[in-house]
Amino acid sequence: MNAKVPRKTRALAGGRSPRRRPQAAAAPAAPQPPEKFRLIGRRTPRVDGRLIVTGAAPFTHDLRFDRLLHGRILRSPHPSADVVSVDLSPALAVPGVKAGIVLLAKGRVRYAGQPVAAVAALDENTAVEALKLAKVEYTVLPFVVSPDKARDASAPQVLDKPNVQPLDERSRGDVAQGFAAADAVVEKTYRTSWEVHQPLETHSSVADWRGDRLTVWDSTQAIHNVRDQLAQALDIPASRITVIKHYMGAGFGSKLELGDYTVAAARLSRLARRPVKIVLDRRENSTCVGFRPDCVMTVKAGAKKDGTLTALQFTNYSSGGTGEGDGSSEPLYDLYQCPNVKVQEFQVATNACEGRATRAPGHTQGTFALEGALDELAAALDIDPLLLRVKNLSTKNEGGTGVPYSSKNLDRCYRLGAEKIDWSRRNKKPGEGQGLIRRGLGMASQIWYGGGVPGTQADIVIYRDGSVEAVCGTQDIGCGTRTHMALVAAETLGLEPEDITVRIGETAYPWAPVSGGSLTSPSVAPAVRDAALKAAEALKKTAAAKLKIPVEDVVLAGKKLSSAKDPSQSLSFAEAARTFRHEAVFHGERAPWTAGFAYNTFGAQFAEVEVDTETGKVKVVKVVAVHDVGRILNPITAESQVLGGVTQGLSAGIFEEKLMDGVTGRMVNPNLHDYKVATTGDTPEIVPVFVDVPDDKVNNLGVKGLGEPPRIPASAVIANAVYNAIGVHVREIPMTPDRVLRALAGKEKRS
Amino acid sequence: MKDFKLAEPKSLLQAAAFLAGSEGRATVIAGGTDLLGLLKEGLVEPESVVDLATVPGLDALRMSRDGMHLGALLRLTDLAAEPTVRQAFPVLHQAVNAVGSPQLRNMGTVGGNLCQRPRCWYFRDAQTVCRKKGGGLCYAVMGRNRYHAILGASVCHIVYPSDLAPALISLGARVTIVSPKGERTLPLENFYALPSVDVRRENVLEPGELLSEVVVPVPAPGAKSVYLKFMERGAWDFAVVSAAAAASLSGKRVDDIRLVMGGVAPIPWRLEAAESALRGKPLTEASIRVALVEGFKNARPMSENAYKVDLAKAVAGRALAALTART
Repeated sequence: MNAKVPRKTRALAGGRSPRRRPQAAAAPAAPQPPEKFRLIGRRTPRVDGRLIVTGAAPFTHDLRFDRLLHGRILRSPHPSADVVSVDLSPALAVPGVKAGIVLLAKGRVRYAGQPVAAVAALDENTAVEALKLAKVEYTVLPFVVSPDKARDASAPQVLDKPNVQPLDERSRGDVAQGFAAADAVVEKTYRTSWEVHQPLETHSSVADWRGDRLTVWDSTQAIHNVRDQLAQALDIPASRITVIKHYMGAGFGSKLELGDYTVAAARLSRLARRPVKIVLDRRENSTCVGFRPDCVMTVKAGAKKDGTLTALQFTNYSSGGTGEGDGSSEPLYDLYQCPNVKVQEFQVATNACEGRATRAPGHTQGTFALEGALDELAAALDIDPLLLRVKNLSTKNEGGTGVPYSSKNLDRCYRLGAEKIDWSRRNKKPGEGQGLIRRGLGMASQIWYGGGVPGTQADIVIYRDGSVEAVCGTQDIGCGTRTHMALVAAETLGLEPEDITVRIGETAYPWAPVSGGSLTSPSVAPAVRDAALKAAEALKKTAAAKLKIPVEDVVLAGKKLSSAKDPSQSLSFAEAARTFRHEAVFHGERAPWTAGFAYNTFGAQFAEVEVDTETGKVKVVKVVAVHDVGRILNPITAESQVLGGVTQGLSAGIFEEKLMDGVTGRMVNPNLHDYKVATTGDTPEIVPVFVDVPDDKVNNLGVKGLGEPPRIPASAVIANAVYNAIGVHVREIPMTPDRVLRALAGKEKRS
Repeated sequence: MKDFKLAEPKSLLQAAAFLAGSEGRATVIAGGTDLLGLLKEGLVEPESVVDLATVPGLDALRMSRDGMHLGALLRLTDLAAEPTVRQAFPVLHQAVNAVGSPQLRNMGTVGGNLCQRPRCWYFRDAQTVCRKKGGGLCYAVMGRNRYHAILGASVCHIVYPSDLAPALISLGARVTIVSPKGERTLPLENFYALPSVDVRRENVLEPGELLSEVVVPVPAPGAKSVYLKFMERGAWDFAVVSAAAAASLSGKRVDDIRLVMGGVAPIPWRLEAAESALRGKPLTEASIRVALVEGFKNARPMSENAYKVDLAKAVAGRALAALTART
């Protein structure tokens, strides 16, 4: 079995194959997290919340500099063409235009919107109008933007190889035998659509080249990636580049790598000797910076009468445009006890732009298919879909055949969720309710990684006046990283969160991984904890010497260091800090995982929906989201992750779809009206629940990531609730009225 | 966006004269919620923009013997807040509250809502030169047409997006049009014109003409009216289909009725066949079903919008049923 893990998933799982990770982690046991904390786990408002909601926090869009130029990119209107010539001179002649570069002088355009040239001007409008004068000659070529059509042998070839390429193939046991042993087998095909990230803050960079130094302010989830890739793209030493990201207006996976607009801004800045800012507009953001690959997934599932799974088979065709498709078999391969599994996945090239990692790449699509099929299997067996899941719970990965999970409380998720939604209210037979408006309840499970990245670094700096800094080269994608760092540092040093000055978002700071893949908190928080523990140790030592007591007797709490035996003997935190000769830097690192375990997060969501059988409208009434992600650092920020993840999954489940036109090869809905994102009017009651049990093997705090988990089952759970309501599974998301009505019409025909 | 001159007329006549003199190179701005998008996308590139907000009195709402007069610049929020509208013109009250979002209603105006351009994504894409923009193709026919017209389309398959228009037509509203040559009035339903008349525009306004006022006759005592809008989302969406129904009833029997659909055709679409089928009959589930089969028998859906026929029937049926259900 030589499984090929897609690059995107690999990066998000912590930089190595998620399937090999347990074996690869050979290291000493991580320090045990303590049981009780004073601040960690307490509801703490974001330390930068006021700054953000009052508009005082500077996002990349907000940045203004002296002599700043505004860049715009000229993009190909053709989805497939050869560039014959580019003449920028008419654009450069426009007053106010200060620099121009050709990005694609000759060669193949493979999607509508691909950059061809760029100019920088005194204002954005001048740049826009100037680019209209540029002359580009194209040889227009045939193209294909439909993943279904791209699979035809007669379809135009998109890349330098056939459109359909193998992505993943693996198996265990013998599925033929498994299906033969089953009492019921279902085989269904599930489809997901291209979904655009649509961060509120569009992609943007400001580049300022001075002498041989380049500073880039970038809206990115990965400052270190941007620095290293920029060094390569510009052929300059990485040491001369600083990348800064202080505040982030979301990314959802679309900002994990260097952008072509960033390279353009840097090159224009070098030419013009002035800072250059490029802000993509919503159309560019919808068409040129990635999307979640679609998946066409066929699941065959077999089980015994009592629900015991005997075999699972999965094929997937996924199109990431000119980029990679999403392998989406991982939940099916890993989550449930099942001896016989066969997986075959393919990627399909199309003349859409390059697909990118999107909040839980592969897992959201795979969960929609797997959980949908299990509900249809439960109906075929006439058993409770929740019982089917409970029946097939496993404690080891790879469906019970691999290594033990470091911790797994999925059974508790099931219990808590069923109780909070009142699972007994579901239709015992899907669609058994009556009337125009049908109610239904559904559930779906979740698995993801989320163990964090060993080697993540952070510093605690103690100044001689007793003030404290927590420093890490991470970036807050919105989950509350500053608050988490302040909480951990304050907790460890006997201070309050407001006593900690947090510095993040610069490549000059200690290394941290991308903010994606639910990596940030389980990487950064343990590193801060490690640094703060070292600082506490040093403070205790100096206090012990000053107070002439043994170091073991020193307690660090309430902003002072005192003797446990005689609390009247004490030194204030500032007095202890003053004994250092200069500010003291304590370097912390996130330790490796305890070897021999699989590190995953789990959860279960339950939803209640109403379906209007005459109009096809799906209304989500309530979602209960129960997640098992180790210790909760801060319930407020954790709940906020869940509210966002559930809303995003609901939105993808009912509304969101990048629609391509087969005649022009362009996206027809590249704006926030036609590309429909759920509004507050569509958002139901969402009840976040956490198991909140520390994972004692994962790191020194027992925390795991929560970025992906709430998003993963959130479309599937609604689809399953719709199935329970109307008795027919809408096997394609988004479940728009036309698809729901078609499914209902099909049901009428069959019955 | 191209630079433009801003004209600030002090009277309607001045505004109309300016427009007439511009030979099509000027455009009007009211609330701007549609025009700004058109400007930014480069779909209109006027030399001048005539700001009607500088004309005094255009935002008035007043009653006369003819009915309720709505100035073209009347804000949708103000229209929604008017107690008379809520009490005497329920269909209009429901329609105005269904427009966009509170922010859009704060900026949007009655005249602007009635004169807005279609939302067809091919029309809105500056790179696509469709029939409406002087090209040779309606891209919706071969392309993505989930939201496009099922009725009344020929050379162009847009749907008219206004919420106010179907409601006002159901009430028999008239519009006043001003030009340097004088004033004319016509029923709002005759204000709109099908693509087969002129594919480049959606109404009968000639160059130099301005919509200045809408006059809505006061419904007879006991008249009923309802507006229902089906949106995909819970807010900030145009109608996939909408239905405005206004009727005089004797008990359940229909003395007179108007049923106007939004989102199904290039203009607000009166279902006259359904209206005649219902006149003189009681409003029942059966009579409504029969009438709507009649009303939509000419529907011609395309590859992706056949569901809109069922949807339109459902929404129209609910609007009709609501006429007798509501007090």
